[in-house]
This record gives sequence, structure tokens and C-alpha cells, in this order.
Amino acid sequence: MNIGFLLNGEAVQLTGADPTRPLLDWLREGRGLTGTKEGCNEGDCGACTVMVSDGDGPRALNACILLLGQLDGKAIRTVEGVEDGGTLHPVQQTMIDHHGSQCGFCTPGFVMSMVTAHATGATDHDDQLAGNLCRCTGYAPIIRAARAAEALPVPGWVATDCAGDAPHNAEVAAPESADALAALYDARPEATLVAGATDVGLWVTKGLRDISPTIFLNRCADLKVIEDTPDGLRIGAMADMNRVRAAIAPLFPSYAEMIRRYGSTQVRNAATIGGNIANGSPIGDNPPALIALGARLHLRKGDTRREIAIEDFFLEYGKQDRAPGEFVEAVTIPRQPDTLGCYKVSKRFDQDISALCGCFNITREGGRVSAARIAFGGMAGVPKRARAVEAAMVGQEWTAETIAAAQAEFARDFEPMSDMRASASYRLATAAALLGRYFDESEGAGLTVLEVAP
Amino acid sequence: MTFDLKIDEPHPDHRADGLAQGVLGHESDRPDGWLKVAGAATYAAEEQADDMLHGFLVRAPKIGAVTCPNLDAVRAMDGVRSVLRDPRMIRNAAQGTANEAPVQGVDRAAYVGQPVALVVAATFEQARHAAQALVVSVEEDDVPVLPDTVTPEEPEDQNTRIGDLDRAMSEAAFKVDAIYTTPSMVSAAMEPHAATAHWDGETLTLRGSLQMLKFNRNELADSVGLDPKHVRVLAPYVGGGFGSKLGISADCVAAALAAMELGQPVRVVQHRRHVFEVNTRRSETRQHIRLAADAEGRLTGLGHEALVSNLPEEEFAEPVIQGSHFAYAASNRHLGMKVARIHRPAAGSVRAPGESVGVTAFEVAMDELALSAEVDPVELRLRNIPETDPESGKPFSSHRLEAALRQGADAFGWSRRHAAPRQQREGEWWIGTGMAAAFRVNMVIEAEARITLTHDGATIRSDMTDIGTGSYAIFGQIAAELLGLPLSQIDVQLGDTRFPPGSGSGGSFGAASTGTAVWLAGMEIRQQIADRLGCAEAELTLKDGVATVANQRTTLHDLLSDETIEGHGHVKPGDAFEKVRQATFGAHFAEVAVSDVTGEVRVRRMLGSFAAGRILNPRTARSQCHGGMTWGIGMALTEELTHDRRDGHAVNRDLAGYHLPVNADVPPLDVHFVEELDDWAGPMQAKGIGELGICGAGASILNAIYNACGARVRDMPATPDRVLAAMPL
Repeated sequence: MNIGFLLNGEAVQLTGADPTRPLLDWLREGRGLTGTKEGCNEGDCGACTVMVSDGDGPRALNACILLLGQLDGKAIRTVEGVEDGGTLHPVQQTMIDHHGSQCGFCTPGFVMSMVTAHATGATDHDDQLAGNLCRCTGYAPIIRAARAAEALPVPGWVATDCAGDAPHNAEVAAPESADALAALYDARPEATLVAGATDVGLWVTKGLRDISPTIFLNRCADLKVIEDTPDGLRIGAMADMNRVRAAIAPLFPSYAEMIRRYGSTQVRNAATIGGNIANGSPIGDNPPALIALGARLHLRKGDTRREIAIEDFFLEYGKQDRAPGEFVEAVTIPRQPDTLGCYKVSKRFDQDISALCGCFNITREGGRVSAARIAFGGMAGVPKRARAVEAAMVGQEWTAETIAAAQAEFARDFEPMSDMRASASYRLATAAALLGRYFDESEGAGLTVLEVAP
Repeated sequence: MTFDLKIDEPHPDHRADGLAQGVLGHESDRPDGWLKVAGAATYAAEEQADDMLHGFLVRAPKIGAVTCPNLDAVRAMDGVRSVLRDPRMIRNAAQGTANEAPVQGVDRAAYVGQPVALVVAATFEQARHAAQALVVSVEEDDVPVLPDTVTPEEPEDQNTRIGDLDRAMSEAAFKVDAIYTTPSMVSAAMEPHAATAHWDGETLTLRGSLQMLKFNRNELADSVGLDPKHVRVLAPYVGGGFGSKLGISADCVAAALAAMELGQPVRVVQHRRHVFEVNTRRSETRQHIRLAADAEGRLTGLGHEALVSNLPEEEFAEPVIQGSHFAYAASNRHLGMKVARIHRPAAGSVRAPGESVGVTAFEVAMDELALSAEVDPVELRLRNIPETDPESGKPFSSHRLEAALRQGADAFGWSRRHAAPRQQREGEWWIGTGMAAAFRVNMVIEAEARITLTHDGATIRSDMTDIGTGSYAIFGQIAAELLGLPLSQIDVQLGDTRFPPGSGSGGSFGAASTGTAVWLAGMEIRQQIADRLGCAEAELTLKDGVATVANQRTTLHDLLSDETIEGHGHVKPGDAFEKVRQATFGAHFAEVAVSDVTGEVRVRRMLGSFAAGRILNPRTARSQCHGGMTWGIGMALTEELTHDRRDGHAVNRDLAGYHLPVNADVPPLDVHFVEELDDWAGPMQAKGIGELGICGAGASILNAIYNACGARVRDMPATPDRVLAAMPL
């Protein structure tokens, strides 16, 4: 594939490059730019964070699971390129001043996350840096360094990177519209679709699989559109999870708060909602929320479109209702009052796969439950509704007694497994307890996990 | 000339207090900081060479006799230059200070994941591809992998019996008798192990990710069969170690063998899964702790028996009971170790081997005793501070536990605490506080350093490493203080075995041991300057490049002109070790919130109060404590290496499954230093600080969980399922 981009301000044109080569390998092996570190090679540690910009602005991404095919027309900035006229970038200086670097191996990744946040003006440093692991410092000095740099000037090169005039190459395998994608994929149903590559990237770096032929979806601008319509929210499959979070936040704050703990800033900047759904992971955090909201999935094969309830997409572990050559085009969330409660439970607060993720959407009218949609991840081989629990509540009064009766139904809906993330009995007990939490919150008693911090 | 010092006697002459430059003991930036923020510090895998070859380790999928039936076919693959099945390859990383080759050989895999071949090719991808293609056949051995299924060894020299513990237990007014467990854990340093080897026909040059170069050189030389004088090891920047890089590792030996065979530079990088298995883990522990106390909570009996594991032929056994020998007075004592020989990946040192897990479990037991005796946990510790070493009767070199406890409790606001559990609630969250004492042995290791002084400034050289600890900063401060130079005129060069052998980084001994060598080298230069000026060394004031004697001022420039002066310092541990018991002490305090819906634990704040002798640089010392306390959070709540019950392999061998704390898990951490100068610690009165912060930190969290919600978790980590199961209904 022919791929062009700016690297630290300089135009690069690759001819006939392997589009599945991770950027990290290309930087370190191909260019000798070893400032960008490899700590895990699977997006867990953030040591390889780089800043990737285009007309939509800068974003921090993990270079280890960022494939060259995703980078055409972008501007890439590595730690070697952030100084401005021989002066350290403000965050580099504050990292020194606040002793934010000890062994130094995670440092370039932190610096690039901080450089990106500094460029966008983001000051939610705990979230911006949630995707960077450090084994030395305990993080606080790094957070202090990020805070100290907030008001310092943004280097001039940021505007250049965001001008959107990086080299660009038209490529058949990287369609630029949903129509082009539909035609191409219908003709080549054996191709691997690459959206954000936060999972497919691991097929390359950990599975050591040759995923060719590939179709890169990231240039399909129309698949990235998020529309707030009178009927509801329509989210294009290629919308990344940080944009999804922003769109969801005013409508369903509990879902948005769950997304905040989903992956990390770097992962959410790459990960797409369509990719997350299409992968069909039993522990993905989007599907339970979408099922609880009664979301509809829009699938397309060639010019044929169909729409299904999202829970019907997940057939069994590893198997989805998707024909060869068919792809997820969008998901719609019907307009509705916000009665959604999303609870992610994991061993570690950020950057952890859920032991279970429960989403509750229970509507009451006149003190009685008029409708209930409850869905869980981590409780079965697929994201799954708690139909027996729902049935036990619908028509009943919204009281502690109803909740207690419904809690007993969880064992009819789920037979979870024991694994490293949690025991089966814990999963079952906690799933029921989360219904209790939802009830307490509806009664005004609850506190979110965030509010625990002093 | 060399200034030699064997530490036999105390050093009551506090020279550091009387020096003029005013940098030692003060906050100072690390001089390597700008290299690290710019990505310009080069780690082991980052050397560039045009003719570099790439090696990829191939590992055994099972335990037993290994053959590779398609070796010749793989050797013929594109780009492949060699497939090493060399009996000199090592089974696992050497133990710290081994100074000789670890167990070698590739014909038998003792654990799942043992390296059994190295594929070398022109590109990394070719090497990895060929490594994937190499068939590793294993004729399986039926060997144990679970510590509970074998009859363990009971080393007699690890067994201490004083008085009659059983009787003390039966006569106790209050007692604790419980089992505590900790899982396997790993260092998970951010930099994966890596090596780049060059061979010029005579000398092997290896750039590695290593902590203790003078030992590593000998280990590498012994492994490959060279005289150590033909081996040079470099590690100027190391991306964290925490014990995992103490001994020579498989990548280093394999890269060296390949370079020697092929005559070209060879790079071998461990990927993250290798890192989890082919180096060393912290052993899981099963600890039986017994405490007997009188009506006032004074210990009459103390029992601490531990079961740990390791591979056959590994000498290391996690020294779980190390801190219990001296922590508390009790006249009836039984301390003992058992080692299960099993076939999990090798066990070795991980940050604060021994006390990290031993003190943590013991301090949970002490909390249980405090509750049953109805004595405040801080007061219970105070009542049981021994006058002298409780087993040998030797005096302590310095003992500041009481100050650490009292000052820490004051700073934390301990007196405002509810003694009984389940007293404070915020929504679904139970709020509670807990504390633990901290103990860690103090060690000095033989070390040398050289300083070269010119009129431009001073250069310090030692093969000592800086694994993030701050060696570059601290040694610069020591030299600047002694020689009266601004830090900008000091150059510190580390991590090269061509320099004088330092202590290496490990066991918290680096700053004090190699730092003392730097001190001695500086003192030798001061003596030479004094000789030139015709005064006694002690009459000399050196500040900002000017030597002042009485009212005579001489600039360094005038004094030296174009000459250089060298100082060489050499420190050795001595009789002090026999004369006194030396340790560092501290206290941890934690506040947590526990959800009674999910069992999730959120640490809200922590405070550590530490006594470790003279603090050479409060900034780097505090950072070490922050790091240690953060490890305590991981140990208490999230870190657990899970082994497959069938074959012992590490299941969660990546950073997604092995949960080291993320930013959101770490609350505000306060660190308080207790003033202490330990005269027995050498001329700087400084002790180790790198590990004290982890010792007992997890216990303060576990004890806070109990205080919050009444869940007593004795099996670490306290994951939500364990907390919920232990919570009273």
C-alpha cells in the first residue's frame, strides 16, 4: 500500500508498504527512532504513545497496535519531535521539575500523552494518563507535572500537524465512503476489516497472524458521523469511543461514565463502537449498555441493509449474526428518558477487563415497573439480557420487596463461570447486588465509585 | 591510592553536616532527567548497528526432555543465520550476586516456558517467524507444580526455636493462630529484558538490562566460557529492575553465544510474556503465624513459619521470616522456613524479598491481636519494641520505630479513628483506617568508585547502575558536597564494567554502599588538596570551586592548573554486622472505602513514616517510598501471578492480566522522614530506602479493610470476590 504522512513535521511517503506493520516497529526498526518504547506490545502500558493529528485535531494513540495502513494523511509526532526550537516542550520541563521520571522507560509515553492533552487543552489528567503504566513513581509526580504545564504555551508545530495537509494516497483497500466499502467487501468477503485495530492489532502483534487481505475503514468519513435525531442517537460504526462518550454524556451520563473507564484514552481514541460490537466479545462493555437501551444495529452487505435488535446479533460465544461481506454500518439508540444505570466491576479501577458489567434500564409509571431491560457482560458466553429478572419486576411495585424477589431470579438467567477475574458465585451475587445498587440510587441513596475519592 | 574502609566501627563524626556546598541532603533534580523526557536515554535494546542480527528465544511448551526435530529445516529458512541449541544457554536468570553461571542446558525443560533455543536471523521478523516454525518436542516428565503436593525441604539453618512457643500459646491471655497466603508476583519493570552483544574475536561486549554489573560480568563469562577480563558489560540506563535484573538473564547469554558464533552483533529482546516466565518471580507464600500475648498485649510468644517454592537447584528461598527475627520482643519463638521443590518458573528476589510479604502478613496478624486484646494497634507495636535484638541480644545500631509510629500517627490523624469496625458509612461504602509497622534489614555491599578532578570539575565513575533509583543524582551530590563544586560541574558515569566495580542496585544497598565509595574517593581528593595547601583535611573548606583554609582562598583553577587529581574509594562490610543489629523502620497508615455491593476497595489516602538514616536526597528518597507504597497497594489489592494447576505455567503473563496499580488505584501518598543518623552505617550515616516503603504497606490496607467493613482477608490480594465473601452479612 502507498502510505503518506508527516513524521515530526517531515513528509514521508512509503511505497508498497505492508499496511499491517505496526507503527511502533516501523519507528524503532525502520527509522531508528527508539524514544518510543515497547513495554507490552498490546496496548496495555502506553509506553509507545504517539500523537497523531489530522484536521480533526490531535489524539494520543498506542503505536504498538496502530497499523501503517491507518496512518495515510496523518501527522505523527514522537517524543523526538516535540521540542520547539531546541527548547524542551513544557511538559518535558515540568516532568523534570516534578520528578515525574525515574527509570525513564515509561516516560516518553507519558510525555506524549501529556503533550497531546496539552495541545487539546484537556486538564482531566487522571483520565488522560489512565492508559500509561508506571512502576516507579506512584503517578502523583506525573500528574503534578501535567498540571504545572497547563498554562504554558503550546508549541507552534501543533498547528502545523493539525493543518490536515499531510501527504495522502488514494487506495482501493482503504475506501473513503460506506458505499465504496460495501462494494469492496461484498466482492472480497474474505478480507479482514480493520477499524481501530485495538483488537485486530493483537491478532498481528500477539497472534502473529497474517491478516491480509485487509480493508482499512478509517477513511470512511460517513461512517464516523454521530447524529442526534428526533428518533434518537445514530452512531456511525467508525465513531471512536471518546466521541461516543462525548455524544452519550448529556443523554445517559451513567453510560458515559462507564466509557470513561473503558480501555484508556489511547485505546478509546482508536477503538470504534462498530468494531467493539462486531467483535462480539462476551466481556465488551458497550453491548450491555446498548442492549439495555434497546439499541438497533444496522448491517449492510452490498446495497442490502437490515436492522436488528442488538441482542439478537450475539448468537453464541465467538459467533455473531453477520453474513460474509456484511458489516456494521451504525447503531441507533432510541430517544428515551434517562433511567439507565451502568456498573462496571473490575479488579483494577482503570484499564481492566470487567469481571462483570451490568446495565439496568427500568421504567416506572405510577410507582410500578412498566418496562425493564437489564443486560450483562461477563455473565455468559455473549452479552445477555436478564429476562427472568425483568419479568419478575414488570408490573410490580417499585419497592425493596420487588427488588429482593427479582434478585432471586438471577440464577435462572445466568450460570457464569469462574475465572481469574472473579468466581462464579461472586459474579452471581454481585449481579444481584448491582440491582440493589440501582434501586438505592433511584431512591437517592447511592454514591458513584468516583465520589469515594476525598 | 585508595581510601579503603571496612565498616567495623561507628562513625560518630558527622562530617556531612559540616561541609560547605550545601547540596547533600537537599532536594536535587536527577541529571539524567532531560535525557529520559526526550527519549534520548538509550536502553539495552536500542543500540544501532548496520550489521545487527536479531535473535528470538524459543521456549518449551511442556516440562521434560526436549528435542527439535525440524532444526535443519528451520536453519534453512529465509534470513536465518543460526539456530542455537547450545548447552551453555541458561535455564533461568541467575540469582542476585550469584557471580557464576546459573543452571544451564537446553535438553531438558524444568518449567513451561524455559528457553531451549535461539533463532538468529537478519531481521527480527524472520527470526520470530522461524522461531514459530521450530517444533519443540517434549517427552513429558511427571513433576509437581503445586507447593502443597510435595514434602518440602526444611533447611535447619533457617529454623529458630527459643523457649516454648506451644506453652506460651496455651498460657496466653490473647492469641492469634492463623494462616496467611500471598501469591506469586513479578517485578514487571517497564523495560523488558534485552541484550545486544558484540564479539571482536577477543572481547565480548554486552549491553544488557541489568542491575549488578560486576556480578553480571562474571555470570556471563562463566556461562559462555570466557575469562571475565574479556567481558565488558554496559547498562547506563535501566528501565526498572525491582530484582528481576539482578542476575544475568537468558537473553544476555543467548545473544553473547550467537555473537561469538556469528561474529556479528546480535540483539535479543524478551517480549513481555518471556519477561513473566524466564526471569524470576516472587514465590507464593503460605505463612503460619502465631502470636501469644499477656493481658497488656505484650508478646510472650511469636511464631512465623513459611512455605515457599523454587525450582530444583535454585539456592534462593524467599526469606519470609527475615523481619520477624528482630521486629518484636517475645521470649518464646519459633521461626522456620520450608521450601517446596516444584516446577513453576524460577523464584528469586523481587523488591524487598522477605519483608515485603513476611512483614505484610505479620502486621495483619498484629492487627488481629490488637483487636482481640483491645489495644490500639499503634500502642500494641509500641509495647512490643525490643530493647535489643530479641534473638541474639545484640544492640540495635539505631532504632527509630517509636518515632516513626508516633510521628506517622500524628501526621495521619490516627487518634480520630474508630477502633471498632463498621462505624463509618458513606452510601454503599464502608470507610476505615488501618496501620502497620515497616521493617527491613540494612545491608552494605563492597563497592568502589573513582573521582577525577580537573579545574573544570569532577567526573565520577563506577559500574554501579541507576535503575530509576537516582544514583546519578545522589553520587553527584556526594561528590559536589565533598569537593565544593556546583552540581553543574559534576559528571557521573555509570553502568560500565570498565569503571571501578560498584555495589550494583539491589537490596536497598546501592546509594549507601556505592555512595560511601564515592564519599571515600572524594575524601581522598580532599586529603590531596589539603596536602597541597599544607593543612589538615578537616580544616579545609571547599565551596563553589574555591578552597579556603583559615582566611586563605585558592581557586581550584589555580590549585590544579592542567593537572588532574584522582580519588578512589573502596568500602567493604565489616564487623559492624557482627556487633550490632541494623535495620530500617517505619509505619504505614491507610484509609480505604469498601463497597458492600461489590466488595471493591478504593484506597483514599496513605501515609508512610520512615527512618532510614541520613536522607541523601529527599526528592529521590521520597520517590522511592512512593513507589514502594504503590507496590503495597498492588500486593494488597490486585497483583497475583496465576499458575496453571496442571503444568505451573504463568496464565496471566501480560500487563492486561497481571494488575499492577494504575493511576486511578493510587491515592494521594504522604511520605514523612524521621530524623536519624545511624553511626554504624558508615561515614554518611545513611541506610537503604528503596524497599522500606513496600514492607508492610499492604498490611495497612488490609487492616483498613477490616476496620471499614469487618472483612478479614488473609489471602492476598484482597480482590472484590474475597472481600465480599469475608464481609459480615
